[in-house]
Amino acid sequence: MTPIEFRRRVFLAGITAITGSAVLTACGGPAATSSSDAGTPVDGGNITFLIQGYDTGWVSSKTSISSYEGNLWGQITDKLVYVDDKGQLSPWVASSWEELNGAKDFVLHLKDGVTFSDGTPLDAAAVVANLNAWAKGAPERGVSKVGLFPSSNFVSAEAADAKTVKVSFSSPALGFIATLAYHGCILLSPKTLALPVDAQADLAQEIGSGPFVLKSWKQGDSYVLEKRKDYNWGPAALGHTGPARLDTITYKVIKDTSVRTSTVASGQAEVAFNVEPQEIESLKAQGFTVGTPKYLGFVDGFQVNTQAFPTNDSSVRQAIQHGIDREEIRNTVYTEDWDAATTFIQGNVPEAGDYSSAFAFDADKAKKLLDDAGWKPGPDGFRVKDGKVLEFPLTPNPYVPSTKAEDELIAQQLERIGIKVNLKVVDVAGYAAIQASRPPLFQTSRSFVDVGTVAGVLTSQNNGENWFNLGTSDQKLNELSTAIASASDRESREKIAGELQQYVLEQGYFIPLNQLVQRLYLISPAVKGVQYNGLAYANFYTAWVAK
Amino acid sequence: MSADLNFARLRSAGTATLRSRAGIPPTVLVSFLVILLVVLWSLFPSLFTGYSPVNGDTGSKLDAPSLQHWFGTDYLGRDQYARVVYGTASSVTSALVAVAIGLVVGSAIGLASGFRGGWLDATLGRFVDVLLAIPGFLLAVVIVSSLGFQTINAAIATGVSAVAVFARLMRAEVIRVRRSAFVEASYLEGGNRLQALLTHVLPNAYRSVLVLAVLQFGTSILVIASLAFLGYGDPPPSSDWGLLVASGKTYVTAPWLVYAPALVIVATVLSINRISRWLRNSK
Amino acid sequence: MTSGYGRFALARAGQAAVVVLLAYVLTFLVISVLPGDAITNSLRDPQSGLSEADIQRIVEFYGLDQPVLVQLALSLGRFLTGELGFSLQSNLPVSQIVGDALPSTLTLATMALAIAVVFAVAIAYGAHYAPPRWAGILRSIPSFFLSVPNFVIGLVLIELFAFRLHSFTTTDPNSATATLFAAVTLAIPVSAPLAEVLIASLDHESRQEYALVARSRGLAEAQLFARHLVKPSALPSVAMVALIVGELLGGSVITETIFGRDGIGTVVQKAVTGEDQPVLQAVVSLSAVVFVAVNLAADLLTPLLDPRVNVREAANA
Repeated sequence: MTPIEFRRRVFLAGITAITGSAVLTACGGPAATSSSDAGTPVDGGNITFLIQGYDTGWVSSKTSISSYEGNLWGQITDKLVYVDDKGQLSPWVASSWEELNGAKDFVLHLKDGVTFSDGTPLDAAAVVANLNAWAKGAPERGVSKVGLFPSSNFVSAEAADAKTVKVSFSSPALGFIATLAYHGCILLSPKTLALPVDAQADLAQEIGSGPFVLKSWKQGDSYVLEKRKDYNWGPAALGHTGPARLDTITYKVIKDTSVRTSTVASGQAEVAFNVEPQEIESLKAQGFTVGTPKYLGFVDGFQVNTQAFPTNDSSVRQAIQHGIDREEIRNTVYTEDWDAATTFIQGNVPEAGDYSSAFAFDADKAKKLLDDAGWKPGPDGFRVKDGKVLEFPLTPNPYVPSTKAEDELIAQQLERIGIKVNLKVVDVAGYAAIQASRPPLFQTSRSFVDVGTVAGVLTSQNNGENWFNLGTSDQKLNELSTAIASASDRESREKIAGELQQYVLEQGYFIPLNQLVQRLYLISPAVKGVQYNGLAYANFYTAWVAK
Repeated sequence: MSADLNFARLRSAGTATLRSRAGIPPTVLVSFLVILLVVLWSLFPSLFTGYSPVNGDTGSKLDAPSLQHWFGTDYLGRDQYARVVYGTASSVTSALVAVAIGLVVGSAIGLASGFRGGWLDATLGRFVDVLLAIPGFLLAVVIVSSLGFQTINAAIATGVSAVAVFARLMRAEVIRVRRSAFVEASYLEGGNRLQALLTHVLPNAYRSVLVLAVLQFGTSILVIASLAFLGYGDPPPSSDWGLLVASGKTYVTAPWLVYAPALVIVATVLSINRISRWLRNSK
Repeated sequence: MTSGYGRFALARAGQAAVVVLLAYVLTFLVISVLPGDAITNSLRDPQSGLSEADIQRIVEFYGLDQPVLVQLALSLGRFLTGELGFSLQSNLPVSQIVGDALPSTLTLATMALAIAVVFAVAIAYGAHYAPPRWAGILRSIPSFFLSVPNFVIGLVLIELFAFRLHSFTTTDPNSATATLFAAVTLAIPVSAPLAEVLIASLDHESRQEYALVARSRGLAEAQLFARHLVKPSALPSVAMVALIVGELLGGSVITETIFGRDGIGTVVQKAVTGEDQPVLQAVVSLSAVVFVAVNLAADLLTPLLDPRVNVREAANA
């Protein structure tokens, strides 16, 4: 054969090699494993939990704890109250409580014998220190308070005796007990709380009372937790109060979603956090469990900056409300596990009502709103007014699965009504900067336990997070916010919550998409007994590995 | 020596120093066809596909390759073949921009360096050394991160890293010609030195510069695809080949999303390399 | 020759130092064009846990409120004394970040280089001494290696060997097998130019007089290969190795990202997305130092390896 033909052969061989491995790869996944019935729990066993990233410091008191960090915090710390996936509260470190004086005063009775991992007792004094940190933070040391804690009317917390804590508020705080179950309200040793903020960023300094303790770690890469043998105060609602069953949990950072999925799918790890929703069906068919718990909180949607171009124009806000086809998003990007949103809070929150007419998909209505406001279609199809093109930047939320595909679809839908969306993809590290820049639309993912705490984000009153950049300029919103935080009984609060939802949605301050499933857990068939709390966190305290 | 020549010919059977009597070898023909196709894709994408690369039929998402969708569909129901075809413009044009920058700026530097010598040569030489000292891909990454994440910036960054290679080549060619006899001769004839240099350098140098340019074209496609893969190119919904691979790999059950653009990249660069080798060996 | 060589070595070393300095300045100027206010974005981010006092310290340290040239002077002065500054993302010293990441990358790069050399030598040997059918194929391999993007190679290797054949697991990227596959990924594009140069110089050398003579004396091909051809043929390759160091460092960005390794490449990637200027500046400048040092070594070794090379000529090249 001539040299020329050999070169052709190599050429073809190369192509075949690549195609060959493509075919090899396309031919199915690992053999389907049959999931056995849940048997008797066994002690011992280790699991590896794959998660996107743990790049930033571990300061416990932050405005909000990231979805990733919450997974680890939940294993090494406890809370006063437990909330299950139906929103029911039950005792944990607080064995009972009383609500007095129209929800202005509370008494917490603590369980006996609870200790931190360094041996110090978790007594009333420790609880008081934690409550103060959650409510007020320590601004002079750079420690912020917990964003969704009822701080505006918090007066004081004091230890009546070693097992009793008295908390008082200046006005009714209906959400107080519920908030004690929030994943931001983790009980830490007073020693930790007293540390300066850069020492708190070091995970080894965080002393909790949870069923696991930190054994070893490599920042940003892997964290090994081992079980605490003397743990004896698990929440009764989980059906187990003694030590955990697993020996160790190793959190391993793997940024790439497909690598996390494939690693668990091929049996090299046990749990993967946040897989792509579109993979769920085929993974389930292979015998894996995919947990898609819904938390109490806000739906997947956008908080709108009312002072930035172009969302400072209320017609634009409302046009976007009506221009997004949420059903198409559910059918394309997500699965049947995702529900339609009826308001801007999740369906399992008791006060959620049906205000879907405020954001029903109606492209003609959206176009008319824009036409009437003076936005005329330009040469390339995008609307123009006063020489400015109707466009805005959008960044998919890296904390929520599939938001990149979701935002691409939204960009397509809004293009049909003449709005230009410029996508900008960043990862977790860059997302904080995006948030700081207050873009016109910012995709939120926030949980809460009690609707009263919503007041803490809507305006800037009482150091609120000021989600819509209104400051205190919207009187009606100010009034509704204050009313909901200090409502004296649950019926009147529900009514106020209804008004609030109607108002916020009509004004286009919040643009809901669909009910949020923020935390997905791909779990190997050998792992049993995983339970989910009301904040959609998987708890491995009761989990075991079948041999 | 004839014995030496025969021996060498026997020894090197199988190398491309043999010129085929048939003219252009078949593999080179195929390579030209591939490149022609790719160039046509980038210039007239709508001729090759009726589907849109941006809007898809969300109902038929993640379909495997079929007669309707040659490369299957992606996660929003867009035809992957259309996405590859429309993505060619930015992948290929940007590579051309990169080569153009490298060629023009690099040759200018090389010419000036080789022609003038002395302090200009020393200064420019150090500048070229600096560009060589910083690994090409790292330099491209840093430049793109400064200018902003866009494919055109990736092209500029790749071009800057290529300047050094062209500069070195041009300078070597100029020096080689400068020392040769006929330049001295033409100078003695009273011709302008620069003129003599250009009329003698360019015809002799263009061959090796062309070979290098073609090679750099292939390298640039790879570098720009790698930058796009890391997310440093145009954001979605653009469909740079590298970005297609990066977004496709999230969908483990749809491997065609990765392998279709990957195959296209390999075929294109392989063809370019083949042409480059043919050019080099047919001197 | 000694004094000629001595002068040559000194001149070369001087040039090297100038290049390093210029590389630092060029990088600084390019990076300082970075958009975005580093102060607000990275430092003021409440998640970073930095107190106001910390932020002020950082601003003063880098002169972030001063004009660019002042910042450059500050920075360059510190670089010359080996002080690399602090990361804007994590507030850790850059030297610590680089130091922690270096072993992983060094292991990877060394393994990749070794594999690349093995590949290149094997291909070159085969291209010369294998039967004509195979020689043709082998000669085309470098071209093929240069056509496949390294991210594709990496993805394919992971898919095949990690997820299908379970040869290694992605959760332990520092295991020997995982490192081996990462090194192969990095080595493939690097082995190509090495192989091509070896083949070309073997072609060239094999036609030389002395090779002919040696063959006529009946020396076995392999011995010939080893004794007469490798040494002078190695000349262009020594300079090649220096260029390859640059390729290894550049390619590590993607390879380490794909394999989840914790090396310099990953540090660069995080620094780019986090707009962490000091880290980027340090890594790029250090790569330039490494490249220049290796090149310098290559230049100084060349006259020693092949006496045919004139030191004067080499100095002017």
